[in-house]
Amino acid sequence: MADPIPPAERLLNLVIALVNTGSRMSKEQVRSTVAGYGDAASDDAFERMFERDKDALRDLGIPILTVTGRGHGDDIGYRIDQDAYAMPQVDLTAAELGALSLAAQFWQDRSLRTDATRALTKLRAVGSGPEAGDLVAGLAPRVPAAGAALGPLLDAVHAHQAVTFSYRAASTGEVRTRVLEPWRLLVREGGWYVVGLDRDREAARSFRLSRIEGPVRGVGPAAAFVVPAGIDPAAVLDSRRAGTSAVAVLAVRPERASALRSRAVTGAIRSSQILGDLPDRDLIRVPYTSITAFVDEVVGYGDAVVVLEPRELRERVVARLRAAAALDPLMGAPGLPAPPGVTPGRPDQEEVSRRG
Amino acid sequence: MVERAPDRLVRLLGMIAYLERHGGVPVEELAEQFQVSRRQVVDDVDTLWLTGTPGYWPHDLIDFDAAALEQGVVRVTQSRGMTRPLRLGTREAIALVAALRAMRESLVAGLDPDRLAVLQSVLHKLTTATGEAATIVDVRLAADGAPAVNAAVGAALQSGRRLKLDYVTAADVAGEREVDPLRLVTGERRTYLVAWCWRARAERLFRMDRVLSAEVLDVPVTEHPRSDHEDTFHPDTDAELVTLELESRARWVAETVPVESVRNRPDGSFEVDLRVVDPTWLRHLLLQIAGDVRAVRPRSVAVDVAQIARSALGAYDVTAPGQPAD
Repeated sequence: MADPIPPAERLLNLVIALVNTGSRMSKEQVRSTVAGYGDAASDDAFERMFERDKDALRDLGIPILTVTGRGHGDDIGYRIDQDAYAMPQVDLTAAELGALSLAAQFWQDRSLRTDATRALTKLRAVGSGPEAGDLVAGLAPRVPAAGAALGPLLDAVHAHQAVTFSYRAASTGEVRTRVLEPWRLLVREGGWYVVGLDRDREAARSFRLSRIEGPVRGVGPAAAFVVPAGIDPAAVLDSRRAGTSAVAVLAVRPERASALRSRAVTGAIRSSQILGDLPDRDLIRVPYTSITAFVDEVVGYGDAVVVLEPRELRERVVARLRAAAALDPLMGAPGLPAPPGVTPGRPDQEEVSRRG
Repeated sequence: MVERAPDRLVRLLGMIAYLERHGGVPVEELAEQFQVSRRQVVDDVDTLWLTGTPGYWPHDLIDFDAAALEQGVVRVTQSRGMTRPLRLGTREAIALVAALRAMRESLVAGLDPDRLAVLQSVLHKLTTATGEAATIVDVRLAADGAPAVNAAVGAALQSGRRLKLDYVTAADVAGEREVDPLRLVTGERRTYLVAWCWRARAERLFRMDRVLSAEVLDVPVTEHPRSDHEDTFHPDTDAELVTLELESRARWVAETVPVESVRNRPDGSFEVDLRVVDPTWLRHLLLQIAGDVRAVRPRSVAVDVAQIARSALGAYDVTAPGQPAD
């Protein structure tokens, strides 16, 4: 016997045969005439091979139609309809292929990377010539990997099918089962999110993919919901993260915090804003949109930056600094009880517990 | 790595479709078009030559002009009807369209009008060809450089010229340096410029939000030894090991910082082990999450951060150093 025919060659022979068949081919005809299937050692091996190949072709966007004869029910045949798999008329320039090539490197996520790479191969077939790379010289966008939850969620969003998964709430650490009508997947600062209707809460919610534990499973039929008109799924997530737009008045040590200074805006600073005894400081006005992010940034400068206004920002920075000061137990207050709702971990002599 | 059969099938079909539209194509050009080796092109042609409709007599097979192939030119003479390019699958369309959209939004500052126009046109062609799949994924990348800085860095990358940066380090020390820009790495959190730094005589990562100003110099970049480090930060394994015990609310730390290991506890709290190269970075992190820290090992780290916090509280003049938190 000759060498076995490689899988790619067998798949191609199957596509060519099913495209060129007059009306349809029966499974038996496939086995006996299409090169590659004669290698199957048994009926079972052939069945498995044929089913796997059908699945592989469907995944590639080449659906195999099942055609039933008019006569008896078991007279089933197969063919491929070229109109169902052909790409609509499109031509791509070398520069456009270059941009697509960059887009295909965009994802760190393995499954998205595989999809994007395959899409690029398909598009290269309609390119006018080899890609031009100079268009995108030096640009390297990178989106973090999403993990195993992404694939099933992509399919569910597209199919409008509900899903269920176990989710660890960040606020409590509690793991609960959720049922979601997924509307859209989003990448924002901090990673991947899915936004949709939480069926138990009957409200729009966002979930972080990295907090999904275990598999994501489809629930019920496809086309089970529509994204409500008038709801922008992105707004569900973004509104929670968006802040106000405010301007902070900061007292900054000379030569310090250049990154903050570079964002400073002009504007009068009322003398009443100058509190405390802080000589030799520059007063600057810096706009911010997220108070949480701005607290994080300002706290990082230690005593080089003092918030004078607004009051809420000042209080939050001070509260954070107090928490940090309490990290050293020798300077903290021994004997204070742990905060309510917190169960201290196992005592360990090496450990430094917060608040002693 | 061995190529998967479906990936190869897509290329085989793509090659016939391409050849059908372009007539005779030199082997090198076909290799470049599909970004594979010349050897792979020859193997692919050999495979195509053996495929066809059942029977597999010579007139059933995909056929090439053998004389042209001797001259290194691939020309299909019989394609058995396999000339139509493959449509993109749903996920394939999602992956490319979402990436292009995010690139358009986030890179716009570093792109000149010509490059932006190319992104727009390819996006338009792709969404027209693929339909509504395009709205399933929505990616927003960091846009954290100042517009003038982004424009200068983009221009320098494209024209291959040196940059003068006014840059402030993590330790809050500002200074000028000249760099040869290599790549602009845009993530969902931050944007970094990877560049050869003439002061350090080595490749460095520069956070775009800490570049105070950037000026394109009239000096072309020079070739530098390629560094094999990746664009993301991977701490040394022999750096100091620090363990943090954190409340559930600080879970983002485990998700966004490169941690060595995470141990979850039944009550939702967790422990992370970090390798810390830069003490400034660790100080910033601890000041950010101070309210959610249960314990720190080694102890010296906690003492250091508490000292900084007390000194800052002193500046606020709201509490005496060492006074207990309430």
